[in-house]
Amino acid sequence: MSVTEATPRITAQYLENYTHQTVRILGKVTQLRGEQAVVDCGGPITVILNREAHFIQNHFFEVVGKVQQDLGVRVFASTDFGTDIDFKAYEAVVNATHQCKEIFYGDSA
Amino acid sequence: MDYGYSAQYSTTSYGAQGGAGGGGFLNQGSQESPAGGKQNQYGKDTLRPVTIKQILDAQQPHPDAELKIDGTEASHVTFVGQIRNVSTQATNITYKFDDGTGTVEVKQWIDADAGNAMEMDDSKPKLVENTYARVWGRMKAFNTRRHVGSHAIRPIANMNEVQCHLLEATVAHLHITRGPPESARPQGATINGDVAQRNAGYAGTGGLGSLSPHARRIMQCLQTVEQSNEGLHMHDIAQRLQMDMADVGKGGDELLAQGMIYTTVDDNTWAPLIL
Repeated sequence: MSVTEATPRITAQYLENYTHQTVRILGKVTQLRGEQAVVDCGGPITVILNREAHFIQNHFFEVVGKVQQDLGVRVFASTDFGTDIDFKAYEAVVNATHQCKEIFYGDSA
Repeated sequence: MDYGYSAQYSTTSYGAQGGAGGGGFLNQGSQESPAGGKQNQYGKDTLRPVTIKQILDAQQPHPDAELKIDGTEASHVTFVGQIRNVSTQATNITYKFDDGTGTVEVKQWIDADAGNAMEMDDSKPKLVENTYARVWGRMKAFNTRRHVGSHAIRPIANMNEVQCHLLEATVAHLHITRGPPESARPQGATINGDVAQRNAGYAGTGGLGSLSPHARRIMQCLQTVEQSNEGLHMHDIAQRLQMDMADVGKGGDELLAQGMIYTTVDDNTWAPLIL
């Protein structure tokens, strides 16, 4: 299962490059629709919740999940990051991790 | 108390380095303190922000050597990750940390004396699964496996620290592999459009941008002309650059004041400070 060890951090615009891969996203919950939710992560992302996910409107959540064919993300694990999150910093992290792959996600990712 | 023994031990291996103080620290220090042999490393100790992938990729030139990241010895590291698994054993607690770039085991030895007190202290936030925490520790290699012997683990209170740490690790990595950022070199080459100067490769603080044109030319001359470690005499520089002696003198003074060159055999012979 070494494939799942690294979970690249991405924002909405990278989704299509990561279909069928496990990724990490940090976004603000904008809509709750039962089994699904929409988070804003540089753009809306639909996430398919698991039983343990207890999303809260307007909270930032970090989601580890798999990108589906339709660019939804199936949640494996989620963490409540609260409301006080500097999203610009997260975008900077995503940029840094994609420019500096050698220390983050290897060359193969 | 084995203080007497320790102090004695350090004096022999530390020499002039102030063995008594060091010995005291070692004595109280964590279980990580090596019993001997590595004391001479302490002067070079660094604490570096890293990603877990960097720990897993750390190179060990030969067994028992310090682990290296980006070719630099990195004895102590700090990182932020999510606890995936906690396993409490008789002598240590092993945490499995995941920061998205990989997973690594972190061992924290249980201090038998302090142990009970800690367990009773409920006011401390608990290090349970799925919480984010910052780890300080020393990288350990066991065959090809890596783990971290930790001195301290603290839960993350503000989640921005996760992002902050990743950016910090990137800065540290880029600083070591590529030198200081362009923006840290005042009024960099981009303003003058002088690409050659940027490529001159002066990687120290300050940079060439803030210097007068004379000083800059002298510095470039000193960096490019082949020379012995005595450097070049100002007459030689003046001749090579077709410059007035007075200008060379002024430029040289400026560079000396900046600490970018130093005098060698006499006051008028200069060598560039290469970092």
